[in-house]
Amino acid sequence: MTTVPVNELGDTNVNTGEDPQQRAQLVLNHEDFGSVTNEILSVNESPKPPKSWYLSLAISFSMMSMLGVLIGYLVFTGVGVWGNNNPVAWGYPIVNFVFWVGIGHAGTLISAILFLFRQKWRTAINRFAEAMTIFAVICAGIFPGIHIGRTWLAYWLFPIPNQMDMWPQFRSPLLWDVFAVGTYFTVSLLFWYLGMVPDLATMRDRTKTKVKAIAYGIFSLGWRGSMRHWHRYERAYLLLAALATPLVLSVHSVVSFDFAVSQLPGWHTTIFPPYFVAGAIFSGFAMVMTLAIPARELWGLKNFITMRHLENMCKVILLTGSMVGYAYSMEFFIAWYSGEIYESFTFINRAFGPYGWAYWIMVSCNVITPQIFWFKKARNSIAIMFIASLLVNVGMWFERFVIVVTSLANDFLPSSWGIYEPTWVDVLTFLGSFGLFMTFFLLFIRYLPVLAIAEIKAIMPKADPHGHGHSYYEMEGETAASAEAAKEDE
Amino acid sequence: MPSMNESNQTESHEGRMWWRSIEEASTGKSLQPTNDEFPEGANHLAATGEDRRHFLKIMGASMALAGLGVAGCRRWPKEHIVPYAHRPEGTMPGIPEHFASCFDFDGFSQGVLVTSNDGRPTKIEGNPEHPDSLGATDAFTQAAILDLYDPDRSKKVTYGGEDSSLIAFKEWVSAYLPKKGKGIAVLAEPSSSPTYHRMRRAFMQKHSEAMWVEYSPLANRNQAEGLRHAFGGDWIPVHDFSKATMIVSLDADFLGAGPMQVANTRGWAEGRKVSHGKMSRLWMVESGMSVTGSKADERLAMHPAEILAILQDEDINAAVDSTLTAEQLKWAEQLKADFNAAGKHALVIVGESQPPIVHYIAARLNELVGAVGTTVTYRHVESGSTDTIEDAVSAMKNGTVQGAIIIGGNPAFNTPGTLDLATQLEALPLSIHLSYYNNETSQACKWHVNKSHWLESWSDGRSADGTICIGQPLIEPLFNGLSEAEFIAILAGESTTDSHTLVRITFNPKADQWNPEWRTAVHDGVVGNTSSLEAPPVNRNKMSMSDSETLPDKGMTAVFVPSPSVWDGRFANNGWMQELPDTITKLTWDNAALLSPMTAESLGVAQGDMLSITVGSNTIEIAALPVPGIANDCFILPLGYGRTFAGRVCSGAGVNVYPLRTATNVWSAPAQVTVTGASYELATTQMHFGVNTTPGKGAQERIPLLYREGTLDQYNADHGFAQHVGHVPHSLSIYEEQQFEGAQYKWGMSIDLSTCTGCNACVAACHAENNIPIVGKDQVLVGREMHWLRIDRYFTFGQDSHGDYDVEQLAGVAIQPVTCHHCENAPCEEVCPVAATVHDTDGLNVMVYNRCVGTRYCSNNCPFKVRRFNYFDYFRRDPLRSTGMLQVQPDYYVKAQSGGKTLRAMQFNPDVTVRMRGVMEKCTYCTQRIQRVKIATKNAWVKRSDAQKAADPRVSIQDGAIVTACEQACPAGAIVFGDLLDKESRVSKLHDEKRSYEMLEELNIKSRTKYLARVTNPVDGAVSTEGGHH
Repeated sequence: MTTVPVNELGDTNVNTGEDPQQRAQLVLNHEDFGSVTNEILSVNESPKPPKSWYLSLAISFSMMSMLGVLIGYLVFTGVGVWGNNNPVAWGYPIVNFVFWVGIGHAGTLISAILFLFRQKWRTAINRFAEAMTIFAVICAGIFPGIHIGRTWLAYWLFPIPNQMDMWPQFRSPLLWDVFAVGTYFTVSLLFWYLGMVPDLATMRDRTKTKVKAIAYGIFSLGWRGSMRHWHRYERAYLLLAALATPLVLSVHSVVSFDFAVSQLPGWHTTIFPPYFVAGAIFSGFAMVMTLAIPARELWGLKNFITMRHLENMCKVILLTGSMVGYAYSMEFFIAWYSGEIYESFTFINRAFGPYGWAYWIMVSCNVITPQIFWFKKARNSIAIMFIASLLVNVGMWFERFVIVVTSLANDFLPSSWGIYEPTWVDVLTFLGSFGLFMTFFLLFIRYLPVLAIAEIKAIMPKADPHGHGHSYYEMEGETAASAEAAKEDE
Repeated sequence: MPSMNESNQTESHEGRMWWRSIEEASTGKSLQPTNDEFPEGANHLAATGEDRRHFLKIMGASMALAGLGVAGCRRWPKEHIVPYAHRPEGTMPGIPEHFASCFDFDGFSQGVLVTSNDGRPTKIEGNPEHPDSLGATDAFTQAAILDLYDPDRSKKVTYGGEDSSLIAFKEWVSAYLPKKGKGIAVLAEPSSSPTYHRMRRAFMQKHSEAMWVEYSPLANRNQAEGLRHAFGGDWIPVHDFSKATMIVSLDADFLGAGPMQVANTRGWAEGRKVSHGKMSRLWMVESGMSVTGSKADERLAMHPAEILAILQDEDINAAVDSTLTAEQLKWAEQLKADFNAAGKHALVIVGESQPPIVHYIAARLNELVGAVGTTVTYRHVESGSTDTIEDAVSAMKNGTVQGAIIIGGNPAFNTPGTLDLATQLEALPLSIHLSYYNNETSQACKWHVNKSHWLESWSDGRSADGTICIGQPLIEPLFNGLSEAEFIAILAGESTTDSHTLVRITFNPKADQWNPEWRTAVHDGVVGNTSSLEAPPVNRNKMSMSDSETLPDKGMTAVFVPSPSVWDGRFANNGWMQELPDTITKLTWDNAALLSPMTAESLGVAQGDMLSITVGSNTIEIAALPVPGIANDCFILPLGYGRTFAGRVCSGAGVNVYPLRTATNVWSAPAQVTVTGASYELATTQMHFGVNTTPGKGAQERIPLLYREGTLDQYNADHGFAQHVGHVPHSLSIYEEQQFEGAQYKWGMSIDLSTCTGCNACVAACHAENNIPIVGKDQVLVGREMHWLRIDRYFTFGQDSHGDYDVEQLAGVAIQPVTCHHCENAPCEEVCPVAATVHDTDGLNVMVYNRCVGTRYCSNNCPFKVRRFNYFDYFRRDPLRSTGMLQVQPDYYVKAQSGGKTLRAMQFNPDVTVRMRGVMEKCTYCTQRIQRVKIATKNAWVKRSDAQKAADPRVSIQDGAIVTACEQACPAGAIVFGDLLDKESRVSKLHDEKRSYEMLEELNIKSRTKYLARVTNPVDGAVSTEGGHH
């Protein structure tokens, strides 16, 4: 037993100091692996979840049911129940689609890219960031499906054999979307599930009810923690991470093609793919933060999702927020530099036209708000970062609103210009998608390992047999398996 | 579809006689000794005696019409489970037939050619033989077909609101109609029909003590009075704008809606063609902002009381208490100089709002300058009116009139509010109303007799120049209504009361139905050489200001104008007309008080703010709609809205402004205007942005690029002036561009902005041809109107020194029809994920409805935003009322039926799919019309000799054989469609003209529709008031 390393502030719950001599601890107040397992699984194993869980689930479930009713209403009545019109043929549904896909972006980034870059702190947030990704992509996937005029024919967008003997039209970015989002969802799901297998086995072993044992037993795929299992698992995980990495860039690039490939002023912009990816990471991290902050409070996960994790996320938000801000200004510059009257008008109109309010909400939330994270105090204040993350979510929704609606509302011919106003169905459907998302998320917290137990253990000092504060990640040839095996040995 | 043989394809585009009369069909004797008139099979049938007998048997119903005078037959849609064993000769299922007919519109007969599909009339075109139509129509005529199938039309005779019958009515007439017509007033609409006048004389002969009053709310009484002074008797002027090199219009919206719109537009457009560097010039003084004003080269907005001061006439100027400003005076001087210079090619035309003296002086001026006989002639007209409506009402009040017989019209609704006719009618012991709707007047009358549609009965009439027209029915009366002539014949106690006999006897009392002249007249729809134009000398006796029309003093003034959508209210229950956006205001489903932006500013109102307008003791509340170009302090109030009878389209649409009219203030009245503080939603199809807001400025900047125009001087200096407006960089497509190699045809369209007046005929024609739904006001409000063809309207303004636009300086009005441009590099096509919009081999951008899933991406990527999406099942929705949660409330179109049959569905063009919800649609260049001709041409080609085939490997189609619905309706001839591969075709030549330009060419979309830039002819050509300085 070594003593818990304390930082310079002397507080065992604060690990945000930057001391080049000593690596900051990512797991606080835990010495041994067993207590980590106990603490994390207490979320699932406590006889009763907190009352707030029930309350949240009740609200979320009601909202999800409302979503179902609204979709039924839509299908039976027609997409005219939405506010879409001519010229704004895409409104809330596509805004929501891009918004949710963006949210779904952080998961893969955290699990794949940060994994490949050996960012140890990712282990505390990757599991639920991935879960968030899955649920966000489900929410995102609903919208294109129900926004089309003949919902029941949505499957025509898939390249499946049909009586018309036709392929879809491969030049259409909407088709690329189908592939990009479909691939992303599949890989994310596999990645999430694969990473969960050892933890599911742990839950299987610890559960006291038969039903759960069978359920976890099925999904843990007969995991026994053997060396061979660990070996295969690590290889597969690494491969999937490598596979998922390009997807981080591709999915939102392809989503941005929906706009960039068209010739509409305000959409037809080469900057869109990187701009969208940055924006997606930005919104994804903000959403992770929005979820992590209450979760660590409610379920007592502060020892794992530490202030240092949150601070890192703040830094990512600051970086990506600034990238997004750069993209905004670059769009303006190019619009002016092009000398194209339609293009320049679109951007002036965005800022000063009928939708100027939306534009300035977007700028203040996405560009100005994150700048507060230049200050360490802000990065260490739960309240500030929670509010900021909420604002970023709002801002990123408005970013999509600004892109989709303002470009369409005032395009080439002034005679066709219009104003888009959402209906109650639009607004409630969007809220309903949050219900769906939160329902899934709350169920996930209660029934699945909310943190990657096995991986967290690997970043504890104890996992490092040499005891120099270096984790196995930095050692060639070593794997988490050996760290876990070391645990087993003790 | 049966195949078509040679004779048929000849029929479809060669012969002038490509429609036939029912008469002809019923006898099988063709007047034209050509076989080409009959579709395939008809010739074979006619060749054998046996088939001839079959034909005679099967056409029993049609034969009956020959004897009984009932034409056509009523065909509810039927489902046949077995095909015809013996097809009736002359009918080919699926092949439409065309019949000439006519109908009377405010005293002018409109010549039409009606398409009949398997017994159902479905589409109305202009009759090329008719002197006023020459093949074109206005929007009203296009929409008239929908009235035929209006589920709200009156279906039975009623007495006191209870169901009765025609037999009971006839018995009542013979038993109870007062002898000699004592105490009876007959209120009728003016009519040009000789049969109507014959019946009127018969009635008056029998009921010599009756009072006969002709009343139409839009009758040009001032003109009648002015010309009565000039010539004595009842005269109307007949204008020939094509011969005029300068036209002065004093508040006369001659290009706007009205019975003469088609002829006027055609003549005017003729004069606007630049020939030898010259074209006509249009001077306009008006208080409102009319279609004519929007096309004027020199325009002045003036208060109605001031307009006559422009005429430099001492009689008038002495009578007018008005002084022109220096600017106006200069304008008037220029006008005078131009007028005198034009000589006999000048023309003064005066609007109905101006007092009789102005009409008289205009007649004198036209005579003075020598224009009579060239640009204007006159025709003596028959009027039956013995008294005025005011006389009739006062007779009702003092009890000398005890009974009213009202023939058509709707006087209880559209007489001046001061008369309060409805109350008078209700008090009468005897009142009869013949009406197409059970309307406001019917509800005030005891008897209501349902009128037949003009497509259901025989009729006749006279065109403007006096040419006699014969109208034949295309369908048996759906609800056994009576025509006006039949109705009067019953009242007159005539022995013959069927319209067929009545009209034929009027034509020639000795003619039977086999009479060749009669049959030719029926076939052609017109009787040749019956025009009666004269050039009578103008009486020089001085005329004083009459008191029959009082002009209000300057100040707040209510100005009454006919509505270009519902006219006097008669088209109010026509969904196509209600949803037709007004050319200038773009307003649908409502009328509004139109006022100048300055007046709006001084009142502090914006679009939709409610105004309370009081004239005398009557007040209405109506929403304000600022429109640039209107004279300050004038409130332009379109008539005809605010109907109160239970029509499911018109109820709730607009405000009735007739109550503000008085007997002497028919066209303008002094008004008190206050702001109520309430507001009302006006459904305009173009958004209103303040001109100095960001979008407003952005729009002003780009209008010169989109709508290109120049003055005559600019044009003469450089024919290609329109080409130099925008910069088109050389651009390459990322995808391989379609080359259309080996294409047989290359369809294209040319739209002439010089001659297009924005009359909306094309929009209505497109509605009728392509089964386009109406969506209702709530949907227009959210921008979901479905018009495939729309008319864009922009106002351009002068700039002040700060670069701000000044709404007081209206520089011009741009009117531009926009429809699918059928781009060769169509942006819509590459974004559709399901390949529902693709190019066909001829280069048409086609929409495959049943493949469309409705992503609407194509609409987003369409730079012209001409694609229309079916957000709901519009043919299943109630078009006007709020439809509640489920938005599918039945049902105007499907459930509102008669006898369990779909009435509305009978109008549908069987060649065009009725689209369901969730699919995108757009202009197809009338692909069904293209296909019809293509198939016929190809079938004919196949039968040719090898040498002939080798000479024409492309199977070329004769230019002009394919006519799109918009092109066919266009009275200005501004739309031309054809094959661009045929270098001799009209459209090829127009595309090659230097004035031709492609809208948004810089997008490298390669539109197949090109515009011809507008050429204006202001006095000072270098500095155009119409925006030539862009």
